[in-house]
Amino acid sequence: MIDAWLLPLILFTPVLGAVALIFVPNRQRFLVQMIAAGSSFVSFILSFYLLYAYDPTVGGYQFVQRFEWSENLGIAFALGVDGIAVPLVLASSILLFTGTFISWHIKDRLKEFYISLLILAAATIGVYVSLDLFFLYFFYELSVLPMYLLLGMWGSHTKNYNEMKDTQKRDFVGFIMNFTSNSKEYAAMKLVLFLSAGAVVALLGILLIYVGSGLNTFDIPTLAEHSEFSGTMATIIWLLIFFGFASIAPLWPLHSWSPVGHAAAPAATSMLHAGVLMKLGHFSIIRVGYEILPEATRDLMPIAAILCVFSIIYGGWVAYSQNDTKYVIGYSSSSHMGYVFLGMAALTYVSLTGAVLYMFAHAMATGLLFALAGWVYDQTHTRDIPSLGGLSRKMPFATGCFVVAVAASFGLPGTVSFIGELMILIGSWDKYPVQTIIAVLAIVVTLAYLLRMLRGVFFWEPGKAIPYETEMKWAHVQDANGFVNRMPLLVMIACTIYFGIFPGQFIDVIGSSVEPLLAKIHGEIEAGVLP
Amino acid sequence: MNFTLSLSSADLLLLLPEIFLTLWICMLLAVDAIPSHVDKKVIGNLSIVGLCATLVTLIWFYINGKTGTLFNGMYVLDPMAIYFKIFIVTSTILVVSMSIESVERFPAFRGEYYFLVLMSALGAMLMASANDLVSIFVTLEFTTFGFYILVAYLREDSKSNEAGLKFFILGAFTAGILAFGISLIYGATGKLILTDIAQAVGEPSAALIAGFLLLFAALGFKIGAVPLHTWIPDVYHGAPTPVTAFLSVAPKGAALAILLRIFFVTLAGFAAEWVWLLVLVAIISMTYGNIVAIAQSNMKRLLAYSGIAQIGNVVIGLAAANKMGGESIMFYLWAYLFANLGAFAVVIAVAHIINSEEIEDYNGLNRRSPFLAFAMLLFLLSLAGVPPLAGFIAKLYIFVAAMKAGLIALVIVGLINVVISMYYYLIVVKKMYINEPTDPSPLTVSPTMTVGISVAIAGTLILGIYPKPFIDWTVHATQMFNHLNIITTTNPFTLPFGG
Repeated sequence: MIDAWLLPLILFTPVLGAVALIFVPNRQRFLVQMIAAGSSFVSFILSFYLLYAYDPTVGGYQFVQRFEWSENLGIAFALGVDGIAVPLVLASSILLFTGTFISWHIKDRLKEFYISLLILAAATIGVYVSLDLFFLYFFYELSVLPMYLLLGMWGSHTKNYNEMKDTQKRDFVGFIMNFTSNSKEYAAMKLVLFLSAGAVVALLGILLIYVGSGLNTFDIPTLAEHSEFSGTMATIIWLLIFFGFASIAPLWPLHSWSPVGHAAAPAATSMLHAGVLMKLGHFSIIRVGYEILPEATRDLMPIAAILCVFSIIYGGWVAYSQNDTKYVIGYSSSSHMGYVFLGMAALTYVSLTGAVLYMFAHAMATGLLFALAGWVYDQTHTRDIPSLGGLSRKMPFATGCFVVAVAASFGLPGTVSFIGELMILIGSWDKYPVQTIIAVLAIVVTLAYLLRMLRGVFFWEPGKAIPYETEMKWAHVQDANGFVNRMPLLVMIACTIYFGIFPGQFIDVIGSSVEPLLAKIHGEIEAGVLP
Repeated sequence: MNFTLSLSSADLLLLLPEIFLTLWICMLLAVDAIPSHVDKKVIGNLSIVGLCATLVTLIWFYINGKTGTLFNGMYVLDPMAIYFKIFIVTSTILVVSMSIESVERFPAFRGEYYFLVLMSALGAMLMASANDLVSIFVTLEFTTFGFYILVAYLREDSKSNEAGLKFFILGAFTAGILAFGISLIYGATGKLILTDIAQAVGEPSAALIAGFLLLFAALGFKIGAVPLHTWIPDVYHGAPTPVTAFLSVAPKGAALAILLRIFFVTLAGFAAEWVWLLVLVAIISMTYGNIVAIAQSNMKRLLAYSGIAQIGNVVIGLAAANKMGGESIMFYLWAYLFANLGAFAVVIAVAHIINSEEIEDYNGLNRRSPFLAFAMLLFLLSLAGVPPLAGFIAKLYIFVAAMKAGLIALVIVGLINVVISMYYYLIVVKKMYINEPTDPSPLTVSPTMTVGISVAIAGTLILGIYPKPFIDWTVHATQMFNHLNIITTTNPFTLPFGG
């Protein structure tokens, strides 16, 4: 019984929570918090159940639910997950649940904040569980608007953004004609316009698939099975789908909205933005591009293999020269998304499975980093690394979590990122050795900027004592204390480490869907012989 | 041509909604005039009652499949006509309900206001049934006449006077154009009934083409498509806001009914020729409306330019020249009705308290009235086409129809415009939600306004989340366009991509 309603429950509990919140006055803070936490908790628990209830021996789409929505347009509200969607649904609901607690202390218009957050998370889950192109786009587009409100209403101005015109501070590529304002409104508007522009490009591709297939349906499994696209038409549609969705991924050079969006956003929004919003891009490329246009994917994915190198190196390089904690994490995210693209481009069983696993791992690691950057910012009211330092004595718990987060982010063995990263690198080696070598070397850069940030925020120059003025400056600073502040951090750490040690179920689940997908992409060329 | 009128009781039944509404309007006028001190609110409420009764009759007509023609085919009552009449009556009910409070503030002629609104609605209802060139002319002028007075209703306000004068001069000019177009078409074909003209056209002559262009120009003026849009911003700005709201929905819907009949019935055989005209009008309307809207600082002007852009979207559906194009236009109109009337209702509610329609004065509306800000957010986003709101499905429907007709370039322009429009709608959202108010005192909304706005919110959400009944309805109401499907069966991809 629960299995039939599992996906609707995961998807709609946050929505129901948001609807319920509309009718609660902001004065009753506790009730508001409880509704948000309760609805996200249901989603969270059920997503764990989903991971273990998905049967990898059967594979394919499971927990399928179909409701006719409009026969005339060929739209059905079809829900279902395959092995690629399961980990991402889990990541969304974990980050929603933890994000609810991370934002516990927001003072201004808490109710509206939770409504936006719940809608945002529900929209990302909606993309992952939709088996209908129309609803995939529906939820994709739905996820953009809450971001605008979250950034604009509860964000903070992006100090130092204008300084990035300075070539020493870099990211001149993504910022041609873009240095007009330091304000959060500017960041929010930029994010919405970038994502909307990407979305309409993808929508054009979706409409071409819908009309060109002649099947009069938006149903993804039907389209994947029966539509035939070839030649120029397939190439055009694939490029529209790829670049439309890659802008949210964010693939270099379409990344510039993302770091500034992180910098302007409140902590929980950054977590969802880096953790799951960006993965909508990769996921949609796999769901739409790989499933419906397998031949074009095989022929054109080398584009991603080239661009991902720029993402990796450029993102890392810019991250290294930033002084703002959120810019460092933001650029590190866009750098790490390059690894996912590398794994996707290689199109081997190991690399693609690794890429999906790495998406989950990155969600946990970056979620942790942003949660802690947010905590530090709340306590010290600055994100400027040079003016921070020496916080470890005042906040030992947060420091410990941050160390784990850094380790998870660069892929220390024992964390789930390590397995994902390793699988991407091993799987890509045969096909793209040059890119793989560059990616391995870039891990060093990752280490460099993460450790630099770790030292700059929590510790002090080696061998020197922390000066008295600094100690005094942080006199009022508090550590993450109590259940509300510590629990979300511990949940994310537990997920990182548990799945780092026991990734079996994950790899089985992902692999069960990756295998048939690759068989379709490689087709007759390597019939039966999967790399 | 034989003009003997035979009116049996069955024929009269077909006119029942209009006859009833006419009698009701006369009754209202009597109620306003005969007792010396009648509360004008009573007349407003009575108008709503009458309109609701008309609505019920129309729905009963539709469900029971009452159709037929009158006066030798000059007047038709087909499912599409009933659909548009339901649309017009619904919009009038909403407009009257949001007017009641504004009318109390009018300096004079409060009772006549309802009379004029209902007369215009009656004219628009007749427009939806007009099936020959003469009845198009008569009903169109009938509708516009009430508006000439309504636009200039605030006698002491120079802006309202200016708007009224502008609207009257341009409207009279358009009537001339329309009459000239009709005379050319009649001269070339000797027919007046739209379906007869279709058979009589044969090889189109220069006079006939000119005649149809003039006809399109006159109707384009009514819907406010570029290049015939110039009256819209000033008239919308100057007219009393409830009148603006009414003007932006009901006459446009009625004019679109006529346009659908002309393009999809009379000129269906020449789709390949006129499609370029409509493509051009759609592209220019959307792009011009959206780009100029960015620069607006007054809410009513912003909505005026956004309305021009919305009409550009509707013309995409016309250009598609297939049955789905008709369906999508008729669905789009509902989405437009709820979002646009809702947005104007919020403008009215805000203006009642702060007496301003400047966008600057919407700063921090979320803190002053969460309900109004949330409603405005939904309406603007629906106009922008954001899920899960009505505008999203409506835009997608139109784009799908255009794609099926192979108009890929038009769809691309439409999609770019979606992004542009997102910008200026979000600017308003930013003012309401992000900026802090200069005067943080809370705003109170009257119960009638709350009900009106809530209905618009419900419409916007229901159409966006569960549009199936409405889509099925449009599919049923456009059955008369089934012959157009022949055009769409060829795969459009054989054209642009060479197979």
